[in-house]
Amino acid sequence: MNQQIDDATLVERFPYVKIDHDSKHLYRGWLNKQLLINKCDDCGKFHHPPKPICPSCWSSSLTPTEVSGRGTVHLAMFLRQGPAAPDVDYNISPHPVTTIELEEQQGLRFTSTVINCPLEDIKIGIPVELTWIERFGAPFPVFKRASIKEAS
Amino acid sequence: MRNPIRDEVAIVGLGSTGFSRDAGDKSCKALACEASIAAIQDAGISREDINGIVASNEPGGVSPNQMAATLGISDVTHFSSPTAVALFSLVDAVNAIFSGSCDTILMYFTYQRLPWNSRSAASDPFRRYSNLGTVVPVPETPNPSAAYTAWASRYIHEYDIAREDFGRVALNMRANAARNPLAAMTKPLTMDDYLNARMIRDPLCMLDMDIPVDGADAFILTTTEKAKKITDNPVVIHAATVGLVDKNDEDQLPDLSRHGQHVVVETLKAKSDVWLDDVDVFLPYDGFSIITLGWIENLGWCKPGQAGTFLKDHWDDKRGSAMINGRIPINPHGGSLSEGATRGSGHLREAVEQLRGSATEDRLVKDAKTALIGCGGFFFNSQGAILKRL
Repeated sequence: MNQQIDDATLVERFPYVKIDHDSKHLYRGWLNKQLLINKCDDCGKFHHPPKPICPSCWSSSLTPTEVSGRGTVHLAMFLRQGPAAPDVDYNISPHPVTTIELEEQQGLRFTSTVINCPLEDIKIGIPVELTWIERFGAPFPVFKRASIKEAS
Repeated sequence: MRNPIRDEVAIVGLGSTGFSRDAGDKSCKALACEASIAAIQDAGISREDINGIVASNEPGGVSPNQMAATLGISDVTHFSSPTAVALFSLVDAVNAIFSGSCDTILMYFTYQRLPWNSRSAASDPFRRYSNLGTVVPVPETPNPSAAYTAWASRYIHEYDIAREDFGRVALNMRANAARNPLAAMTKPLTMDDYLNARMIRDPLCMLDMDIPVDGADAFILTTTEKAKKITDNPVVIHAATVGLVDKNDEDQLPDLSRHGQHVVVETLKAKSDVWLDDVDVFLPYDGFSIITLGWIENLGWCKPGQAGTFLKDHWDDKRGSAMINGRIPINPHGGSLSEGATRGSGHLREAVEQLRGSATEDRLVKDAKTALIGCGGFFFNSQGAILKRL
């Protein structure tokens, strides 16, 4: 299990993010292909990106909680240029960047991309589900179009 | 709502280098000095009169202590470097003068193209230091510049907006910039040009995004009491505020119907004796075209989703830009989209130019008394101000 890797190794595995004590659980989860979103032990509300306390009730008792990975596209743009990634070639196709509203809570969102889907089908409102790709040698959470049944 | 600063602080001097895609071998500090000296001379004061310095924390910018050292300004009792976007600095300067922290302030803003937004800047060895940091993000990182495009997608989805609605913002700014000698981009623009412009992040194209420039703006502020003694045309800050909501992480904003701009609008309205019917010049931020559409709607010029139609209905074909009710121009200086990406100091400067009557004749609003500035975007830099001619 990757849960036990030390902080220095964790930082080395994700050179493209600034990891701190508030967000380390999120990225440790990625190494296990788990999307862990902070959930408050006291009021039960999720929040993202990870903060040291619950923004609703100020409890510092938070549990990074695996979410279902199901949601709908809330925002969608298509980058023709931008930051580099080994799996992104702006010369071949615009790269979709989508903000997904997760099914666990209204307004709880995670920004990533949608893979294996024609660009014209990536529209606001479509159901998606979590899947994983490799990015710089570490798992990276992305989404794919969900079947109607799975999205129900 | 309490507003003790009302009309108590005035802008009495302006200086600007003008804006270009490349200021050549002038450093940020050189540009800041050029604008600042021009502002001090414009105010008709000397450096000994200045005891406050307010900078703006732009990447590669010039700290207030460095400006004091460079301009030889001594015995400073207030200096600060607020977060970038102009009215953070204005609010700080007004509060400092009103509270007595100092009496007369030099407030300046410098802008330079940076390696991340300009290819030529990326090859300039003197600009290498201004990289964003050691962490290179991936394409999926939500950040303010991409987030405006993301929320533009939502705006289009919710209100069935046409690209032409965004295009009118770009056309308005370009036509107006042609009447501003300080502007970087003055080549005429047609709707076809807009629709065929290079897409950067769909749904937004190059012409929806402000233009990186080199240049600087500077302002002299003092008490209204002193302003009356040194100038015949002081422009006062009637009300000024910033606005923030809790869920301001770019992708967590609940929706477009309540964010920082709404806090600004509610506060400004409550603090002011004047409102839209009294406005002679309207200066909405246009770092991205979607922000301008947001200000038009959120200030109450029209209903949500109607800003594009509003621009069309108030379009003046002869000017090539909008004139609200046939008399109120929108960013007569050309805004960030065409004058250059000044992050609001251009809007503030234009408010003063119009109110004191020093704008060029072809863009001057005759006898303008009130200017409304809606500055900044949706997430964490929404701001607003109403300026008046005394």
